[in-house]
Amino acid sequence: MTVAVEFASVSRHFGTVRAVDEVDLSIAEGTFFAMLGPSGSGKTTCLRLISGFEKPTHGAIRIFGQDVSNTPPNRRNVNTVFQDYALFPHLNVRENVGYGLMVKGVGRATRNARAEEMLALVKLDGFGERKPGQLSGGQRQRVALARALVNEPRVLLLDEPLGALDLKLREAMQDELKALQKRLGITFVFVTHDQTEALSMADRLAVFNHGKIAQIGTPSEIYAQPRTRFVADFVGSSNVLPPKLAQRLGAAPKWSSLRPEALRLTDTRTAALAGTVTGLRYLGAGTRVTVVVTGAELGVLVPTGSPLPEQGAEVGIVFDAADLHPMEEA
Amino acid sequence: MKSALLPERGPGDRLTAIFWRRPRVLLLLLITPPLLWLGVVYIGSLAALLLQSFYSIDEFSGLVVREFTLKTYVELFRPANFDIIRRTLVMSASVTLASAVLAFPIAYYAARYATGRWKAVFYLGIMLPLWSSYLVKVYAWKLILAKEGIVTWVADGLGLGFLLDAALALPGVGGNSLSTSFLGTFLVFVYVWLPYMILPMQAALERVPKSMLEASADLGASSAQTFRTVILPLAMPGVIAGSIFTFSLTMGDYIIPQIVGTSARFIGLAVYQLQGTAGNLPLAAAFAVVPIIIMLIYLSLAKRAGAFDAL
Repeated sequence: MTVAVEFASVSRHFGTVRAVDEVDLSIAEGTFFAMLGPSGSGKTTCLRLISGFEKPTHGAIRIFGQDVSNTPPNRRNVNTVFQDYALFPHLNVRENVGYGLMVKGVGRATRNARAEEMLALVKLDGFGERKPGQLSGGQRQRVALARALVNEPRVLLLDEPLGALDLKLREAMQDELKALQKRLGITFVFVTHDQTEALSMADRLAVFNHGKIAQIGTPSEIYAQPRTRFVADFVGSSNVLPPKLAQRLGAAPKWSSLRPEALRLTDTRTAALAGTVTGLRYLGAGTRVTVVVTGAELGVLVPTGSPLPEQGAEVGIVFDAADLHPMEEA
Repeated sequence: MKSALLPERGPGDRLTAIFWRRPRVLLLLLITPPLLWLGVVYIGSLAALLLQSFYSIDEFSGLVVREFTLKTYVELFRPANFDIIRRTLVMSASVTLASAVLAFPIAYYAARYATGRWKAVFYLGIMLPLWSSYLVKVYAWKLILAKEGIVTWVADGLGLGFLLDAALALPGVGGNSLSTSFLGTFLVFVYVWLPYMILPMQAALERVPKSMLEASADLGASSAQTFRTVILPLAMPGVIAGSIFTFSLTMGDYIIPQIVGTSARFIGLAVYQLQGTAGNLPLAAAFAVVPIIIMLIYLSLAKRAGAFDAL
């Protein structure tokens, strides 16, 4: 397995702020890698360290084994899809897409042909003459993608590329991006703060918090076995149980996570846990019922169609002991 | 129970209601006075000027003949008059070019890097010279550039007097001293009009998002390529706006060439003298039309070159 991007205890400090703090990371070639985290967690700075817009304060970054500490962005075979797309307003779509080839001295005819090819790839054939200002947000996003891919980068960086799109378009683009990545086999590094987006698209993902990586793994590992309370809380909306409650339920006295869909409501007599319903939130496919038990507040996902308790009702909660996941760290 | 409507408090509320019902009334009230001013006083006088330029002067009586003729325009092409136009044009173009080159790094720094207090320092530095009287500045420059002035003194002190002498020995633009040469006129023009170039340029550069420059570098462009293919085209509307100021201000100015420079005349000075002492209003008007035509040509060329594409 070839390593596409490697961070060796990389830090980036802005004054006293440690935006990226001693991060070790290794991204295998051909993976769809997501960097997930709240704003200010260091994920975007990590992306900018790969593209070269930020220089590490400490540590080394290697791209396909080559140290890029002294390589400016224009000499890295890495391209970025920017959050605001950053299309050049004075150039038309074809010129935008061909820009990377133009600055490398590729002739006009070849350039235009390649640009048209890329536009076809992102399903924008026939849009070459338009100016970016005449396109919708979704189309602009595709142009930005084509403009990056035309250079055949070894790593494609995507900085929250779907953030500005509406939900329907975002979901369609998620599928398309995923399919495109599989087809081209290029390593994609994708920054997002949307956990469902990261889980559904990535082969592997890193969860960032306070400039450090809280956990790296496949989406299912991260979802089912969060390593810290932060990960459990941020990825999905897991119930986090304090050590005492976990112990009472027969597990190790550690902070533990318990997915809302692993819980079922029953009547109070048969259940190990009992509590009062304090809230009901309808989500379409199910309803999230909030139950206050001694020592904690638990969310229970009741699929639509199953009977729902009343607000204030006393309910029992049952679950499979295997779903109670003790976490390594508080 | 509270009413759904709030009580009317007086004429202010009534007026607001009228404007709300008829938004055009407010617009009309706002733009009528300036439109009248612009239409009657400004465009009107310009039309009167244009009209004058089609009259001619009777060579014997010195009276204006109110008959349409192109005679006065033909007059402009007489060598003595045409020299004035050419001289003014070359001076305006040089001043504009020099201002653009000098202004760019300053505007770029201010737009890209200056923040907070440094931004205030920048604005103060640019605007401060505009606060003092233009005449005072020009006279100050006369002293600075004079043969016994600071420039000569510093050049001699640094042992660079030969450079100054070499510059003054240049044919056509040199002279006895900086304050009595075209070179001096040029320097003062550049100094006086530079802020008018910096400010629009800075505004244009400020609108170029940083991610645009990063995208260019990301796609493999060197700094020089980014400058040529992204920064310059996007800053072009600002450069054009600034050059309209520096170009037309230089073309119309009649004070600076009188105080600093040779006795050779520029368009502004020619207009001033023709409409005053010489009493040749038609020729003065024809001269005044020249900068307008040059500006129109300049703008249409700029438009054709795509200078406004980024607007």
